[in-house]
Amino acid sequence: MTEALTGFAAVFLLALLRIPLAFAMGFVGFVGLGLMRGWPATSASVAQVVYETGFAYTLSVVPLFILMGNFVARAGLAQELFRAAYAFVGHVRGGLAHATVLACAGFGAICGSSIATAATMSKVAYPSMKKLGYADYLSTGVIAAGGTLGIMIPPSTILVIYGIVTETHIGKLFAAGLLPGLVCALMMMGAIVFITWRDPAAGPAGERSSWRERLLAVRNIWGVALLVVLVLGGIYGGVFTATEGAGIGASGAFFFALARGALTPRKVFSILVESARTTAMLFTILIAAMMFANFVNFTTMPGDLKDWILGQGLPPLAIVGAMMLIYVVLGTIMEELSMVLLTIPVFFPIVVQLGFDPVWFGVLIVLVVQIGLISPPVGMNLFVLNTLLKDVPLTQIFRGVWLFVAALVLALVVVLEFQPLALWLPSYMR
Amino acid sequence: MGAAHWPEVTATLRRALEALCGTLAASALFAIMWLTLVDVTGRKAVSTSVPGSLELTELLMVLVIFAGLPLVSLRGEHVVFDSLDPLLEAGVRRAQGLLVDLLCAAALAGVAWLMWVKAGNMLQYGDTTAQLQIPQGPFVYAMSVLCGVTALVHLLLVLAPATHHHPGVDDAGAAP
Repeated sequence: MTEALTGFAAVFLLALLRIPLAFAMGFVGFVGLGLMRGWPATSASVAQVVYETGFAYTLSVVPLFILMGNFVARAGLAQELFRAAYAFVGHVRGGLAHATVLACAGFGAICGSSIATAATMSKVAYPSMKKLGYADYLSTGVIAAGGTLGIMIPPSTILVIYGIVTETHIGKLFAAGLLPGLVCALMMMGAIVFITWRDPAAGPAGERSSWRERLLAVRNIWGVALLVVLVLGGIYGGVFTATEGAGIGASGAFFFALARGALTPRKVFSILVESARTTAMLFTILIAAMMFANFVNFTTMPGDLKDWILGQGLPPLAIVGAMMLIYVVLGTIMEELSMVLLTIPVFFPIVVQLGFDPVWFGVLIVLVVQIGLISPPVGMNLFVLNTLLKDVPLTQIFRGVWLFVAALVLALVVVLEFQPLALWLPSYMR
Repeated sequence: MGAAHWPEVTATLRRALEALCGTLAASALFAIMWLTLVDVTGRKAVSTSVPGSLELTELLMVLVIFAGLPLVSLRGEHVVFDSLDPLLEAGVRRAQGLLVDLLCAAALAGVAWLMWVKAGNMLQYGDTTAQLQIPQGPFVYAMSVLCGVTALVHLLLVLAPATHHHPGVDDAGAAP
């Protein structure tokens, strides 16, 4: 127990000294295991982890989904999704903000990254909201929060990585994310209603579109809707695996962008390199987290903690609730993926022992990551907006996001209390 | 060569690395995409799959990840906890950056060495992929060499530091 706690403390300390989190986790995992098991065995295990993670067919799902998202982002689709959503809800109070949430949800069905979704939407939705006189705190809050739909609505990088490290079926995880994703979107729209009710000037209504305009707007997005149905439908229906679906999705997105004239050889190259870089960055964290997990699993901590918690006789749901509370608090200061990967070796066995479905826990994990991504002071999506929208002070971004944090916490409680929301769709999969 | 030449030298090195590793990683990723497409459509439509497509994907993944790694380091795209930065003086920050890069270089050099030894063993035992009988040793050597290159990148960063960079955001690449 002491060894593992020292290890966790060491990772935090090294991270505070600005050592990249992956290197901090890998280094502590290596030294910790080395001290306990001896250096030759530890060296061999490190080489094995690097080798196995490098040569893993199922992991090719990660770069392929990243590639799919990047191709579609460059194709200028975000703009059209936004326009289509606006055509339907633009005339209500806060209409542009509602349209942003809907467009984010649509974009999230192609893109598995929260940061990419927020970055893309900030370029599309922010200028429109600014033009109509939206308050900055509302427009940045809704873009930051909407961006997190990228990781809940499948495909999702976080769900893929969770599925890999816990050996949970990725297709089922994707099916499980769909309804909770819609609940998140509804909660966010609720927050917009609340904000514009309190402060009507923050989000004035736009013009009503005619049905002709609406149909025209929808016509522009059918191609990509087809791609989503093909990829996700194929995975859900068991026609192909998540990895195969990702390959089809990436190719489809490539042809889609090509057909729209959005690609030149140079652009294709830069999209490929950017996707490869993101992949390499994620895999560094993944490999390091596995090294750290090897160390933690060698200590008595996972067993001790499991026995202790189960010995308390607490209601199972309260235990999971307490874990979620820890995540939400940690998420305000920690990078979310590392937070999840660090804690999975300790938390996951407890959740399984309590008899909960790993698929449901995966959805909860995504929700706490979503919350962490937008909760000040260290929320990645907030910094993305701060980088991209230079005119908006960080204080405005912080001010507007709190109600959306509350909306997502509410969504977390709903998914926690009402498990079928996540588990109903996957139950139809083989 | 005088110290004044360093900026030009590092800039040239940077470009060479971007071109070399970028081409390697990009072609491998593009190949995986096409391979999966042809394999899946072949299997569903005419019931013939690409022989050994699974293994080929695995070998290509090695290139995507490990050729991408030097570029991640070069651009400072690793996830760091940088919220304390504004509180530190510039001089302290520079010293900190130096130490961090040296430590990363040492760690990567260690991994490179471990993989080099493993590659030698695999070559010696004649480890190959199951279906196509492609020797795996050379690919593990590639892992080792590219980790070594990344270690060198961190040494290069000691000379010419990178500012922290968020993929898809700072290069404004995520949207048209």
